[in-house]
Amino acid sequence: MSEGHVPQQAPPAGPGGGPSGSGPRPQGGGPGRPGGPAKRGKRSFVRKKKVCRFCVDRVDFIDYKKAEILAPFIQERGKILPRRMTGTCSRHQRWLTVAIKRAQNIALLPFAAEL
Amino acid sequence: MEERQYDLIFICRPDTPEPDIDKVIATVEHAAADKGGKIESVNKWGRKRMAYRVQKLREGYYVYIVLKSTHGEVIKELERRLKVSDAVMKYLTVRVDEELKRQEKFKRHRERRAARRPRKTAPAAPAAPVPPAGSEPSAAAV
Repeated sequence: MSEGHVPQQAPPAGPGGGPSGSGPRPQGGGPGRPGGPAKRGKRSFVRKKKVCRFCVDRVDFIDYKKAEILAPFIQERGKILPRRMTGTCSRHQRWLTVAIKRAQNIALLPFAAEL
Repeated sequence: MEERQYDLIFICRPDTPEPDIDKVIATVEHAAADKGGKIESVNKWGRKRMAYRVQKLREGYYVYIVLKSTHGEVIKELERRLKVSDAVMKYLTVRVDEELKRQEKFKRHRERRAARRPRKTAPAAPAAPVPPAGSEPSAAAV
């Protein structure tokens, strides 16, 4: 009779068979965030949809020489306001940025407010 | 090569007498003519307050020139001259023909569309919403 003994070769255990994934992952949770939807039924408020002012006026070209139309789109410190603040569409924001930068170069608009 | 259009703005020192400013403009015109450029218009904006100090001065005399040329050599020469000029504090040259062309394109496109659908655009034109004059974004500033 044949021997029922099959030589078993244990597969070599791969190195580092520990728990995969590195670093302790913070298990969600933590201090519960306040103001979930469960607490106060409605916290939705209607935000007015901002529209691009240049689209309303059908502007095809933003003139860098007219500092007064560019001025509302910069902060007091001279930064260019992001689209999410002003509601400008992406195309006009692109033109606006170029126009503001040109105006800054010829001292029509400040790079940064002084003092 | 097609003709290019440039905006040239330069700022003179505010204490420059008027004849000297005219002299600077004349040199610009001559230099442009030598190199084959065409001056379209010269516009003196006059003394304006600058947004920041340049050479420790708060004001400057702005001159705005529109010129056309078929090559960029003119600009090189003009900028060199403005740089050596004592009266000129700052200058800026911008090539604008491509943007003007783009503007034309949009305008044509809009007119075509209006012509194609007169029914839809006709009532919209008089009922165009008046843009709010108030500067809304300034309220959002930090």
